[in-house]
Amino acid sequence: MSDMEQIEKKGAVLVIGAGIAGIQSSLDLANSGFKVYLVEESAAIGGIMAQLDKTFPTNDCAMCIVSPKLVECGRHLNIELLTNSELMSLEGEAGNFRARIFKHPRFVDLDDCTGCGECAAVCPVNTISVFDEGLVQTTAVYKPYAQAFPNAFVIEKNETPPCQLGCPANIHVQGYVALAAKGKYKEAYDLIRMNNPFVSVCGRVCFHPCETQCYRGEYDEPIDIRSIKKFIADYVHSHHEEMEKAEIAKPAGEKVAIIGAGPAGLTCGFYLARMGYRVSIFEKDSQAGGMMRSCIPPYRLSREELDWEIGEILKEGIDLKLNYPIESASDIEKLKAEGFKAFYVGIGAQLSKMMGIEGENMKGVWGGVDFLKKVNYGEKVDVGKKVAVVGGGNTAIDCARTALRLGADEVNLICLETRNLESKDRMPAHSWEIEEAEEEGVIIRDRRGFKGIETENGRLCGVLTTYCESVFDKDGVFAPVVCDDIAMPIISADTLIIAIGQGSDLSGFDFLKSNRGTVSIDPETFATNIDGFFAGGDVATGPASVVSAIGQGHEAAISIDRYLRGEDLIAGRDNIDRTPSTKDKLYVPPESRVEIPELKPEDRICNFDEIELSLTEEEVRREANRCLSCGICSGCLQCEIACEANAIKHDMVGEMVDIEVGAVILANGADKYDPSHKYEYGYGMFPNVVTSIQFERILSASGPFAGHIERPSDSKKPRKIAWIQCVGSRDTVEHKHYCSSVCCMYAIKEAVIAKEHESEIEPTIFYMDLRAYGKDFEAYYNRAKETGGVRFVRSRVGKVLEIPETGNLMVYYSTEDNGRQFAEEFDMVVLSVGFEPSSSLAELENRLGIRLNRHSFVETSTFRPVSTSREGVFVCGPTSAPKDIPETVTQASGAVAGAESILASARGTAIAEKVYPPERDISREQPRIGVFICHCGINIGSVVDVPSVVDYAKGLPNVVYASENLFTCSQDTQEKMKSIIEEYKLNKVVVASCSPRTHEPLFQETLRESGLNPRLFEMANIRDQCSWVHRENHEAATEKSKYLLHMAVAKAALLEPLPSVTLDVNQSALVIGGGLAGMVSAISIAEQGFDVNLIEAENELGGNMRNIYFTPAKDDVQGYLQSLIETVEEHPRITVHKMTRVSNIEGYIGNYKTTITNGETEKKIEHGVIVVATGAEEYKPDEYLYGSNVNVITQNELEEKLFNADKGLKKAKNIVMIQCVGSRDEKHPYCSRICCTKAIKNAIELAEANPKANIYILYRDIRTYGFNEEYYEKARDAGVVFIRYNDSEKPVVSQIDGKIKVEVKDAILEADIAIEPDYLVLAPAIVPRAGAVDISRMLKAPLNEDGFFLEAHVKLRPVDFATEGVFLAGLAHAPKTMDETISQAMAAAARACTLISKDKYTAESIVANVNQDVCVGCGICEAVCPYSAPKIIIKDGKKVSEVNVALCKGCGNCACSCPSGAMEQLGFKYNQTATMLENALNL
Amino acid sequence: MTTIVLNQQDPKFKEEVASRPGAENFKLCFTCGTCTASCPVAEVNDEYDPRKIIRMSVFGMREAVLGSDVIWMCQRCYVCYARCPQNVKFADVMGVLREMAVEEGYAPKERIEEIEELDRFCQELRCDLVQNMTNPDEKMKSSIKAKLDKHLAR
Repeated sequence: MSDMEQIEKKGAVLVIGAGIAGIQSSLDLANSGFKVYLVEESAAIGGIMAQLDKTFPTNDCAMCIVSPKLVECGRHLNIELLTNSELMSLEGEAGNFRARIFKHPRFVDLDDCTGCGECAAVCPVNTISVFDEGLVQTTAVYKPYAQAFPNAFVIEKNETPPCQLGCPANIHVQGYVALAAKGKYKEAYDLIRMNNPFVSVCGRVCFHPCETQCYRGEYDEPIDIRSIKKFIADYVHSHHEEMEKAEIAKPAGEKVAIIGAGPAGLTCGFYLARMGYRVSIFEKDSQAGGMMRSCIPPYRLSREELDWEIGEILKEGIDLKLNYPIESASDIEKLKAEGFKAFYVGIGAQLSKMMGIEGENMKGVWGGVDFLKKVNYGEKVDVGKKVAVVGGGNTAIDCARTALRLGADEVNLICLETRNLESKDRMPAHSWEIEEAEEEGVIIRDRRGFKGIETENGRLCGVLTTYCESVFDKDGVFAPVVCDDIAMPIISADTLIIAIGQGSDLSGFDFLKSNRGTVSIDPETFATNIDGFFAGGDVATGPASVVSAIGQGHEAAISIDRYLRGEDLIAGRDNIDRTPSTKDKLYVPPESRVEIPELKPEDRICNFDEIELSLTEEEVRREANRCLSCGICSGCLQCEIACEANAIKHDMVGEMVDIEVGAVILANGADKYDPSHKYEYGYGMFPNVVTSIQFERILSASGPFAGHIERPSDSKKPRKIAWIQCVGSRDTVEHKHYCSSVCCMYAIKEAVIAKEHESEIEPTIFYMDLRAYGKDFEAYYNRAKETGGVRFVRSRVGKVLEIPETGNLMVYYSTEDNGRQFAEEFDMVVLSVGFEPSSSLAELENRLGIRLNRHSFVETSTFRPVSTSREGVFVCGPTSAPKDIPETVTQASGAVAGAESILASARGTAIAEKVYPPERDISREQPRIGVFICHCGINIGSVVDVPSVVDYAKGLPNVVYASENLFTCSQDTQEKMKSIIEEYKLNKVVVASCSPRTHEPLFQETLRESGLNPRLFEMANIRDQCSWVHRENHEAATEKSKYLLHMAVAKAALLEPLPSVTLDVNQSALVIGGGLAGMVSAISIAEQGFDVNLIEAENELGGNMRNIYFTPAKDDVQGYLQSLIETVEEHPRITVHKMTRVSNIEGYIGNYKTTITNGETEKKIEHGVIVVATGAEEYKPDEYLYGSNVNVITQNELEEKLFNADKGLKKAKNIVMIQCVGSRDEKHPYCSRICCTKAIKNAIELAEANPKANIYILYRDIRTYGFNEEYYEKARDAGVVFIRYNDSEKPVVSQIDGKIKVEVKDAILEADIAIEPDYLVLAPAIVPRAGAVDISRMLKAPLNEDGFFLEAHVKLRPVDFATEGVFLAGLAHAPKTMDETISQAMAAAARACTLISKDKYTAESIVANVNQDVCVGCGICEAVCPYSAPKIIIKDGKKVSEVNVALCKGCGNCACSCPSGAMEQLGFKYNQTATMLENALNL
Repeated sequence: MTTIVLNQQDPKFKEEVASRPGAENFKLCFTCGTCTASCPVAEVNDEYDPRKIIRMSVFGMREAVLGSDVIWMCQRCYVCYARCPQNVKFADVMGVLREMAVEEGYAPKERIEEIEELDRFCQELRCDLVQNMTNPDEKMKSSIKAKLDKHLAR
């Protein structure tokens, strides 16, 4: 501690994970004076709870109860939300840490995004919806869910798709394919032209390296990307006239000269012209196109298309000068003199390489390029009858096929390489070119070296060849080995075309020439060595492809632009992220590649028509839909165009931020088990087998089927649904040595809710032990079983098979009562998947420096349940063990107590205060009411005709504004509401939506922010009271909505501002109960810097803990207890009152006066808050001979004997334990939660102490939830025998001469079992203490049916009471284990400190108000008030009532009991209520 | 219904079984019934219930287990082994029980070999029957009959 006190404490806390745990922690911290950084790895807060439909055991809608917390957390001034972020490192020590956070790019600017959704509307990509668990698809730009906070979109990217990486021109291939799939051809065309102006040309002749890279090729065949591109170009060409044309501005920038109108030069010119430069292209030939025109034959690229495409390029404002050779230095100088500031050389490689052999100049011998050029420029060329072509490349093939078309009878293609395309010596031509040539009749003579020509009468008559053994050496260098001695037959020929290579004619550009005969360039910028000169295409690289030339032309244009603007050429271009998309998420739907139709060989060799025919639009869209969307976001940029707010930032990059905090709370939750490799259940193979979380989405009104229960395969309504429990839990083979704690209850809930949705559904739950161990869970289970129509089958399912014809599923199981195997048909199967440790923990373990336990969850210990192994780093929720929502929320507050204990001295040092605008005085204004009507997604909108309610509202008196919203509570709508209040000068606001219980504070906050008193607000609940209860009758629901709205509007007109009452707070606490819970709470509050009075009824602290000696984890319980007692008794801020009872509690939040009694002595204590920790006790059994046979003992008694090494126990041969004694029966219908683990713990101790003893545990369900399952496993391994009995056939215990006999029926053996034990150990129930009733009465804090204290909300307010200022912990709440008690006690302390950390409290403003002139002082109000707020006083000699507004809870009892009408409830005054009724009735 | 008095059973039996290779995990059985629900023998024979055999062994019913026919019913197909969530390795446990039955004189010592032979015969028979089904052939039919007769005659 001394070290800790020296370091400078930070008043801020880092919370990792923004599920319900992280949200609760953040709110508690921020509400007690700490700054919070909330880091969430996904794009929105809410976690798994936001995905759930309802919650057990109350069937509350999960979203409805969590949504206000999302908004409060998101809007909180002192909570800084960092979404898409992860912790990278944590340095420093408790009290003063430095955390490094990496913020991943969202690609949408949170400051600008309005959540309007225009981006998603145009996004062509479909990807699986993570929020809907893959049941449906969403777009690549999406909002995680409707109520998500931040209410903003996010773009999902998976690095760069392989097609784009493969493309030399870096085209957004996935983007245009995705657009084509949606029929957006013009958009696709424009997208391609961002990187490649030759859409049509490349659609025809590109060698499509994109397809080679396409991941789909690894599954079946790559997408036919080229054909899609061709279709896009043809579509735009043929629909050109009707398309909107953008105005092209005439370029006016610097002059740039481009030499050569081939693909490189035209591309370079195109982009420069688009950038505004004045471009002139100088072409020495009579037509533009370069090699595309001279070398590519028209049967591959029609001249009409080429001309059109070049025309489109020139339209950008390019000046094309034909027949204009630039051949000398003086030509260049002339251009410079004309003002050209930069030069691009793209003159290609148009010279045929010859072999330098005798006869090469003879008639009938051609160079390849020369031959093609002549033909392609329309000159007459006579090829004779027999043509030999030398060369194995694409040009040779083109020559051969052209020769055929010119009338040659026979064409032989002679090449060194082999036709075997698998060989290292393969021909360099593309495979499809070779195949097409062969189809047309070209004969390939491979592995032949050219030796010479044979002449006859001075005319060419044949070609001599030799055998070529190999072409490339082992390093891949061209080094042909030709066997001159092996003579090959002469190939007769009258024409010979030599197509073995090309070169560039660099005359005039000597100053650029390299020793390789090309222009040397920088490979990134395409700048030459000479200032102002750039080059690219074949002239720089040697003969390559059209698409490479295009890519290079584009890059050079960028360089020239930078050059002319005096910028650095390379900056930012050499470090572009080229990471390819990962493959792990790809889903490959079966669909084979489309076949491209072609002319038949016999129809094509007689002409130069394009041989490839076009795909139909339908085929193109089908083919485009085969795309796997590897990059998820396709980069089509449609969202960027659609976004009015300019929020889309595709080039956003990640950012590292460092923050300083004093503590860390780890709340990143757990993962869901993936059942796809439990093959026997068929998940992933059979569509109607879903996970439980998928079923939550199916049930949810905001889910994929809008709350209609449908099965995925055919949308059919399922009738029989089976739940299979323990999938990925209690499965040692899957390394899951634990129970997931929540699945039994959520499965029951899902079954009950499904049945409520559709009464014909027949739910069946297959389970091993039904673990309804939590508060009110057993009652829920019993209701489901007895009246809820849920069938429970005790059996773990062996396998699930699909019946292919129907999609139904056969479930194989075997019940224990007859051992037979059954096969039963179901329409749908739900797998109750368990928890898995969060996958992010593996990294966080190192980054945070914390230890994980053997289950790979975060390690904690019994007595420090929210602490990790690193001081100052706390943990809560399923991050440390599987647990349900109440325990998660409890731990979240508990972790806050841990953090605040360290940081108490820094409280308030890092926060900002909220300042509201001054309240507008509306006293002189006429009512101006604004009405906001909510669709609540489809909750309201699918039943109530919202637009007609809006119209109706517009006609109501005083209404100056009315509108509808999809979600009125969403952040953007709230912002909109503020601006509307201002614009329309509203002074009253009415919202027709959901329940004021959950949402009123949110809307009132918006009013305050707009300068209106929050009470000038009225709500009509048209969801619960209209759309939900009248789901079947849309018209009536709509009519009723109008009634309710009319009433609300009428009342709103009469609303008055109510001032808020601020009270002083006594910043100290009273803790009632000195057991474990009370002591921990007291210490925690004291450590946070506040005084505590601790009241204990007995003369010793410790409560039930004094009877506990062991824990399953073998902790030193008594040692810990002693240290706790010492801490409590020695702490300067804690005053302990032993042998003391609370006899009276007066006062109210912040100002309590409690009377305590110690024997005859009475004392009054003043304090601000109360923690109730009065505990519970063991039930004293009257069954199973307890009390009449000394050898029948309770588990507590056994534990004491074990601790004292009892001799009788050591000698015992047989010991029987009976579970559920007084639990789960008529007396105590609830489960006592801890008895199973306690019995198992004692059985293990016993087995260790007396290994020879036979130990039998008679149980109904073993409820070793969470990691306790391990001890169940350990006990079985230790030889403890477990025998299950049924509630209807309880064990029978008898005695003869003191000898005990236990009889029980074993279901599996179908036999009666008898055991004669030495000891019979009973596990009695935990029952509430008798004194709880008094405390309940004094505090007006309710008890539940079972006599335990009832918290404010079982899910989200587990340690609060409805009465503010009073908190709850320990067994007084419900049975629980020591670690759970400690968490809850800390939570109660943290919650209490949210109040006493401030010296002021703002009370309820809706309170009772007496008109003392009318009051007759009858005293009825005083009698009916549950909070003792009104008192009769004598004023001016007259008895009148007076209300203590701090005590008043606004319940209204007094107002409606007052006979004189003197008592009124503010906010519900007589005239206000009466007007509502009048309007309702007069409608 | 019979009453089984556990004090009269042999508590050492389950430890003996568990001490043998292959049966180490057998006490971990929590009677979920996955084995029975998956078992191809249980599919055709209502009397056969792997879970029950484990249960009797846990209760120390040495004689009833080792002297029973059911321990010889297991086809040792390992489906239960693959699906058991507690890794009980039922097929191996069966091997242990069979060994013990022979060692303790509950079954003749040739029994293990006989069962192995029977399993092989059943496999052959199955192959023959499949072949005859896909390609009916009189010669095959009489060969099957002859094999079956020969087997029954043993």
